[in-house]
Amino acid sequence: MPIVITRPTTDALIEDCCRELMEGILPGLTDETLKLRLIMTETVLRNAAVRAAHEIAWMREETTALLGYAGRVAERHGSEALRAALAEAEAGPPDSLHLADVADRYERAGQAFTAALVAAQEAGDAAMVAQARELLRDRIATEKEVMATYEVVGR
Amino acid sequence: MDALGPRFERFLAAVEPDRAGRVIACEAITGGYSRISARALVRWGGGAEETFILRGDPPPGSGVFTSDRDAEWDLLTALPGATSIATPAARWYDRSGEYLGSKAIVMDCAAAVSLQDEMARAADAGPLADLFVDTFAHVHQTPLDLLPARMPRPPDGPAYLDGVLAGYDRMAGEYPSSAPVLRYVSWWARAHQPPPVPLALVHGDCQPSNVLVGPAGPPLVIDWEFGHIGDPREDLGYYTQIPLQPNVYWADPERFLGRYRAATGLTEEQVNPRVVDYFLIIGMAALLEQLLVAAAAIGAAERPGILAPYLINAISHQHDMFLAICDRLS
Repeated sequence: MPIVITRPTTDALIEDCCRELMEGILPGLTDETLKLRLIMTETVLRNAAVRAAHEIAWMREETTALLGYAGRVAERHGSEALRAALAEAEAGPPDSLHLADVADRYERAGQAFTAALVAAQEAGDAAMVAQARELLRDRIATEKEVMATYEVVGR
Repeated sequence: MDALGPRFERFLAAVEPDRAGRVIACEAITGGYSRISARALVRWGGGAEETFILRGDPPPGSGVFTSDRDAEWDLLTALPGATSIATPAARWYDRSGEYLGSKAIVMDCAAAVSLQDEMARAADAGPLADLFVDTFAHVHQTPLDLLPARMPRPPDGPAYLDGVLAGYDRMAGEYPSSAPVLRYVSWWARAHQPPPVPLALVHGDCQPSNVLVGPAGPPLVIDWEFGHIGDPREDLGYYTQIPLQPNVYWADPERFLGRYRAATGLTEEQVNPRVVDYFLIIGMAALLEQLLVAAAAIGAAERPGILAPYLINAISHQHDMFLAICDRLS
């Protein structure tokens, strides 16, 4: 017996709420400020739907990449701050798929990555800085996937 | 007329006790992400009518962008004596918020329309682009010694840039989600500083929407809440990311910057498309920090309102822009 109702998935539920807001509620609003707030709310929900569908996988994949980078920099330019950040990143339950645990580990991996980037920059290691740039490129690609339908409203 | 109307009427009775002002209409102005604005029509005892703009702080704990209303009032009241740039007359200030519910500035409502709207309607936006450039070149030539004494004054241009980049490092320490990008960008920006220029009055929200034009008279520059003393090229860089169309910088960057150089006397080495690209990073620093502060407050007891989660996308957008600039200019 399933312990959760698997279909519709969370992203599908949120997208259904978005349709309700835009097609069922927005046309009935006359107050311009409320309309604007509703459109913003729908945008946030639509972004949340994308995140709900993928964010655990995205964070776990990037955590591995970030820690790999930090480890490689530590081998070349190990600093106390970097070693401490790496140790901190490795702490905690690595296999938990609960969102809060994945997010915590991802955040600590980001801090280790940042410490590694600083170490590479201070060492003048252009190759490792360039590698960091590639990882940041991947991160931005993911962020853009979430904000794919973002438009500035209300200005 | 919402509840603000009666409050404004009581305020008028306090600041103009002999004129018997009555608020005939008062309506919120939508748009804008920072202050709460309203337009009010007032009939004085003698029958004359005037329209005013009320510009106040949002309730504490709400909103995303914050600025100092006292500083804005000081700047607004100093500008007429410091520059021939026109602004709507600042008439009164509810300094405590006692009457209007929050600190609020009351200004004349100009019989004018947004330069952005005029550009959108124009078959040829070129002359309006020139007007925009000339207006901000003029802002940037304001004598700094005539500005309010309380405005922070960096020692010089390089020190100012150092301070902004140090601010990015501080943000990286405080907001781990943005730290990787901010550390990368601030390190890159330190190594690629453009030639310095003299410090100037920076508007801080440089866009044609903040210039009003009417059938007669000079353009009026509004929304000075982020005005500060800094590097004038911040305003140029900031404008490049404004998404409203037309964006007259991107329509013809060489024409835009050539005219700006001619008006300011700055050199091509100091002002060119690459330098303007760089100054997008500098010009967005203060706003990015406010976005990060607001994002961190989501989920807290005093939630900042829907604008904060909505603008998380703006943080991602800035990450993308900043890294692209590093790539283009490296």
